Amino acid sequence: MGNQALKKLDDLGGKLIGEIEKQTSPSFETVVRSKGNIIFDQGVGYLRLGNKKEVRTFLNIAQARKFMQTIAIANKCRKFLVEGAHTSIRGLYYQLRFTLGEDIEEDLFDEQTESNPLIEDLEVALSVKREDLNLNTDRKGVAAGQFKLRDKFGGEDTLIDGTKQGRSGWSIPSDVDNGLDFEEVKAKYVLVVEKDAMWQRLNEDRYWQKENCVLVTPKGQSSRGCRRFIRKLMDKGLPCYVFTDCDAWGWYIYWTLKTGSMNLAYLSKELSLPETKFVGVTMSDIKNYDFLSKLTIRAKEIDVKRAEEMINYPWISKHKDWVAELKLVLKDKKKLEQDALQGPRLSFVSDYLKQKINEKRFLS
Amino acid sequence: MPIDSFSQFKEHSVAEFFKKNKQMLGFSGKVRSLTTIVHEFTSNSLDAGEEVGILPEIFIQLEEEGDDKYKIAVQDNCGGIPEKYLGKALGQLLAGTKFHRYVQQRGQQGIGASGCIMYSQITTGKPAWVRSGYKNVIIECNIGINVSKNTPVITNLTKTMGEFSGLRIEAHLGDVRYENSGYGVYEYLKQTVLANPHAQIEFIAPDAQRYMFPRAVDVVPKPPIETKPHILGITANDLVEFSRRIKESRISAFLAEEFSRVSSNKVKELQELLPDIDFSQPPTSLNWDTAEKLIKAVHTLKWIAPATDILRPIGKENVARALQNILNPQFIAQSDRSPQIFHGGIPYQVEVAIAYGFTNGAHNRIMRFANRVPLLFDAGACGLTEAVKTIEWKRYRIDDFENMPIAVFVNFVSVHVPYTSAGKQAIALEEEIIAEVRNAIMEAARPVKGYLNGIVHLQERSSRRKVFLRYVAQLAGDMSELADMPKKKEAIKKGLVDLVEHRVGLIEEAEDAEAETAKEANAANGAVANGQENGNGKKDFEEKGE
Repeated sequence: MGNQALKKLDDLGGKLIGEIEKQTSPSFETVVRSKGNIIFDQGVGYLRLGNKKEVRTFLNIAQARKFMQTIAIANKCRKFLVEGAHTSIRGLYYQLRFTLGEDIEEDLFDEQTESNPLIEDLEVALSVKREDLNLNTDRKGVAAGQFKLRDKFGGEDTLIDGTKQGRSGWSIPSDVDNGLDFEEVKAKYVLVVEKDAMWQRLNEDRYWQKENCVLVTPKGQSSRGCRRFIRKLMDKGLPCYVFTDCDAWGWYIYWTLKTGSMNLAYLSKELSLPETKFVGVTMSDIKNYDFLSKLTIRAKEIDVKRAEEMINYPWISKHKDWVAELKLVLKDKKKLEQDALQGPRLSFVSDYLKQKINEKRFLS
Repeated sequence: MPIDSFSQFKEHSVAEFFKKNKQMLGFSGKVRSLTTIVHEFTSNSLDAGEEVGILPEIFIQLEEEGDDKYKIAVQDNCGGIPEKYLGKALGQLLAGTKFHRYVQQRGQQGIGASGCIMYSQITTGKPAWVRSGYKNVIIECNIGINVSKNTPVITNLTKTMGEFSGLRIEAHLGDVRYENSGYGVYEYLKQTVLANPHAQIEFIAPDAQRYMFPRAVDVVPKPPIETKPHILGITANDLVEFSRRIKESRISAFLAEEFSRVSSNKVKELQELLPDIDFSQPPTSLNWDTAEKLIKAVHTLKWIAPATDILRPIGKENVARALQNILNPQFIAQSDRSPQIFHGGIPYQVEVAIAYGFTNGAHNRIMRFANRVPLLFDAGACGLTEAVKTIEWKRYRIDDFENMPIAVFVNFVSVHVPYTSAGKQAIALEEEIIAEVRNAIMEAARPVKGYLNGIVHLQERSSRRKVFLRYVAQLAGDMSELADMPKKKEAIKKGLVDLVEHRVGLIEEAEDAEAETAKEANAANGAVANGQENGNGKKDFEEKGE
């Protein structure tokens, strides 16, 4: 991919120079990322950008500065790729925060808020992720389980064994595409648990070993790297099950993993997990696990409101099981935390998950 | 014609009065006294030039003779004064040709040149020296004034034949000071030429610096036409004073003969309204009481408006030429007002010009004139200043009136200028006059707005080009590296510059075409632009992007 990104940048440069030689304004095309051009694609099952495109061109007074800035970013990223060095988008901003010339009272960039959207422009225009341009994002998320990875980084070649990550697990990096390849995946599925504490509990139970799976926690909302890591596992044929609280935040985490988000709609193809399924906790679990009825919490206003909204989302309303679940929430005005499953005994969570996954009692 | 104008002298013994009240007549303060003296001599020359139909060439020199002491020499080419009238014209107060005439003239009280000679005498004890060339006879003499009798004292008179046709006066002045300020002689002369573009003035300042204000127009203004006052413009006091100076023997004849628009039928109507007053009595029988009743009755009747064709404005084109000549502004806009009438019976006209963008030095922001005479003093008490100050300049894109390079020229033309005092430096704050002056200023300001919009538009143009060009170097560098062709950087840069020029050229062409259409629609405003045409540009040009 790294070489591919480099080639795309070179091609962009060649195209722009060709345009100047033809005496036309240098320009490139990108897809509109505003809300109006984000659609839920039933066919693929995720949010993606529509077909509205726009041209970024130099000879337009409103675009001249942005155009120049975008090309400066492109050139800088090209240098990172050639040197094999990575930085953050903030690091990139500092690399480009210089004056345009002695006699010009203007800086290339004044604030990082100027460079961030232009990076997205470039990602969309070139169909690459920023990680492909050696721009790191925040790392968040931990994994352990039946997988082996080869990590070529900083001149070292390291074999990572997901079964030998001790109590802390393998920290999922920002970029899981470039210089990181699966050596072996024995696992049969991926289990994503919302909370890090729950992950630690299951890790201590050696859940991933007993169940032959990959145990992942995004530690709340999932990072790009974490989603991409799961996507890559799913591309290897593994199903994915998500285990969150039964509340607004938990549902949001699940649906973002599944269908992608507005903000990253331009990357949904690489990040969304439309085949993923929701394993729990659900309000209907109370029917099967009596003790849970005593461990509910009163739903907050936001949870109720969120449930009301979700029933009407087209990508949710078609799932009858989800609609029934949300109606239950609205009726009882209660919520459940995944931690509640430790009520009878600490290892009950493992039993609960095993049972539900084996019986395929999921919400879609 | 010249002889006629000298046949109307009337004598008044007010020399003593002047001596005691000289501050009332403009002789207050050292700087002001000097400006007043220059004003009186210059106005005399300009009036004389008009009367004899000569393009005035006026020479003024000031030399320092000690602390607050100067010698003034004023010379003109305006026909001179015959020997017979020389003493009365220069050595007797209130004895000029102007006092009793209802006519648009520069001075209105004839305190003029003789007042200055009086001032010279009482501050230095020396007489003035005069050379008058009238019809090839040159008279040279000293002239002083017998203050108690208000009679001229002429000594050392010589008479020769020669070519000189004009008047030269040299006088020693005490208690005056030359100052190069908005109140000083230089500013006064500069503004005088602005309002009298047919005159040429040469001035040698006390530091020997020579200033030349060249003529801008080669036509001598027509001399003003004398007219009878309109009855509606007369106060009871005027009527009483007037009644003591006329030849008619009955009130009825006095009214019918001395005022315009008073027919015998109108006199009859007045008599019917005022049975208590015997119109067959001599006018001297009018006292303040009866005069007041008469005036009240006058205001109950309908009168034909006074003729306004007696007014002599400078003229729109002449003002424009003068401003161009002296101030050289980037843009001049003017009002085009018809004559108006104040107090129901006094015709007047307002001429306003606004000059924007000076290249040669600072100028007074508000240049006030009454019958072409610059009013430098008492600005705060003047109706013309008041009118300028009440304008909402921001509406005309003049966001900072005090600091932008703008000057407002206002000439008040009338047979009777309502001065606030005998110093003749401020026009009364009369509502109807202020309203008319305001209208004139607003009329002139409208094209200024269009012009300033055009300038903003030009700035927009230049900044548009700059915006593109500013990014060219950076962009060319990044592009060449991005394409892995660093050697092409200069070629790319040149290509980008060409593209920018081409692009900007196309945008400007489109704008010009649009502005042309707008300008045709606006042409009636009659604004004169110097150098750059008024773009009448749209304020917000919509960028024609991709």
